[in-house]
Amino acid sequence: MTDSTAQHPSRQRVVIVDDHAMFRAGVKHEIGPLVSVVGEGSDVETAVTTVLATTPDVVLLDVHLPGGGGIEVIKQVHEKDPDIKFLAVSVSDAAEDVIGVIRAGARGYVTKSINGLELVDAIRRIADGDAVFSPRLAGFVLDAFSGSIDIAAVDEDLDRLSQREREVLRLIARGYAYKEIARELFISIKTVETHVSSVLRKLQLSNRHQLTRWATDRRLV
Amino acid sequence: MTERDSPRLGPDTSAPRPSLAEIAAQLDRQTVAGPSATAPVEAPKQLRATRVASGAWLGGVCTGLAAHLGWPVLLIRAIVVALAGVLLVGAVVYAVLWLAMPIDRSPAAPGIDAATRTGMRTQTSVRSSDIGERLALLLLGVGVALLVQFLVPSWQVVPFWPMVVFAVGVALVWTQADSLMPRIGRRRRMRAVMQALLGIALIAGGIVLTISRGFGIRALTTPQWTGVILFVVLLAVAAPWAFRTRTALTVAREQELLANARADVASHLHDSVLQTLALIQRQADDPRAVAALARKQERELRQWLYGESHEADTIKTALEAAAAEVEDDGGVTVDLVVVGDHELDVRMDALVRASREAMLNAAKHSGADRVDVYAEILDDVAEVYVRDRGQGFEVGSVSDDRMGVRGSIVDRMARHDGTARIRSVPGEGTEVWLRMELE
Repeated sequence: MTDSTAQHPSRQRVVIVDDHAMFRAGVKHEIGPLVSVVGEGSDVETAVTTVLATTPDVVLLDVHLPGGGGIEVIKQVHEKDPDIKFLAVSVSDAAEDVIGVIRAGARGYVTKSINGLELVDAIRRIADGDAVFSPRLAGFVLDAFSGSIDIAAVDEDLDRLSQREREVLRLIARGYAYKEIARELFISIKTVETHVSSVLRKLQLSNRHQLTRWATDRRLV
Repeated sequence: MTERDSPRLGPDTSAPRPSLAEIAAQLDRQTVAGPSATAPVEAPKQLRATRVASGAWLGGVCTGLAAHLGWPVLLIRAIVVALAGVLLVGAVVYAVLWLAMPIDRSPAAPGIDAATRTGMRTQTSVRSSDIGERLALLLLGVGVALLVQFLVPSWQVVPFWPMVVFAVGVALVWTQADSLMPRIGRRRRMRAVMQALLGIALIAGGIVLTISRGFGIRALTTPQWTGVILFVVLLAVAAPWAFRTRTALTVAREQELLANARADVASHLHDSVLQTLALIQRQADDPRAVAALARKQERELRQWLYGESHEADTIKTALEAAAAEVEDDGGVTVDLVVVGDHELDVRMDALVRASREAMLNAAKHSGADRVDVYAEILDDVAEVYVRDRGQGFEVGSVSDDRMGVRGSIVDRMARHDGTARIRSVPGEGTEVWLRMELE
């Protein structure tokens, strides 16, 4: 982590978007010493303006937000600047919220009960272009893609998870950190990150029948 | 150390509790006991058929009818299509049903519902109405009409293109009536008005064309025909309005019923949260108790707000209940992720009990403040992983000083043809892996 200081100051520039001022203050207090909080937003409109004006490394985005929700923020910002990275932070565990915001383009999802250090770690990961999956998100993804390891199926690549990706997701769901996953599977942390990013891409782009049905059952489409 | 691991007979799990017992008991009396009782209010079960948005081809009429009658969708679609061939009866029936059947709007969990209502979520529209889809529908309609004209030459009497213009007009006006539009923005309202006006113009144009072709331009100036035109246009405009009013009335009535029920639940909820907050204030000097109270309340609220309703006893519900108990008894956070689900039978019950024992062990002995539990139920096998990042232990010494692990985890799994494996590294933590084949 310290090696990357050469390219950019190690303190990531972060915008916090949440309609609860208390939560914003709390997060700022916790992560403030480790990253630099360059702006805040309390609804879709202020969030989009702030994010576009400050172009932060990472946006911490609440899923439920006045004015159309976090998904709307991602859509509007990505229209203008598709490179902005979002990390969804929410109290909601509902599958439709979690998968919905990821499908909209967020690069990760964590719950609000996450502690400060873990959050900073997640922010760094996202800033470096990786994806951040909580155990719950990994569970949802496995659920959505379940039954997809049918070898006979001539699905498109996008529409199924590779054996390795499944293994990585299962370990995440079991509560393993990337480092521990790497050790468990005898691969490098970078490879773990590659697998997770690839799962994220599949989740965002896949049209697979089962994912669609899974989403329809939960009224996502 | 093994007092909690003593053999359990029957489902009674209320062994003597630690100091939090009184608080918990007090809470239980105040709040609705357990997740099952906190199920959200359900709207009265409707006997009428509803249109179903998911799986719909057009308006969801066939899917809705199929769900209502319990027939296969394909059969109903076939009947409608067959009827459509006979003087377009099927199409008319479909159109009438489309208008008469309300859209199925089963309420989401209250938290999501509320967030949707207050605009905190992006509304995932019930049916996407992109232009391409409408164009395709229109072309399909024109195609069918042309085909009918071609196959049934006697229908040439009805002038074709004026009818198409008329039909498009009606469709434009009625698509506005289809949407319920609880609160729409000004721009969308403008669009709706423009669409309705265009529709009316087309309807009038269609009639004028029909009459002028059938009876000559002169006929238009006669009072009878002017009356007919006015009447039809009025009908086309008034009908959607009447329909919408009727729908709005029904919705209002339903919402009043729901509002009463919701008010009751809301007051109940407030009681429970306020009660917990009061308890937290009284115990402010005991961080563990405060954390436990907060966690318990969070779990209850979360279950109520975002929980999926579970009807029957399944592995998932049983694991959730077990995790909740361990959280309360052990004062740790149990992070449970379940993929898939299955009915709870005797063997799966044993699996859940073994999992619970593993969680409890982690909570009591590992020293970690969080336990990760991952359960995966596939078609033929159920697996549970219970993991902590605590102090760990030498696995070799288990058989002697940890009767709990042997008796209630390993042996229990073995008795039901399951497998239990324990991996532990001193200083790094423990993971218990349980596996049982489904029958």
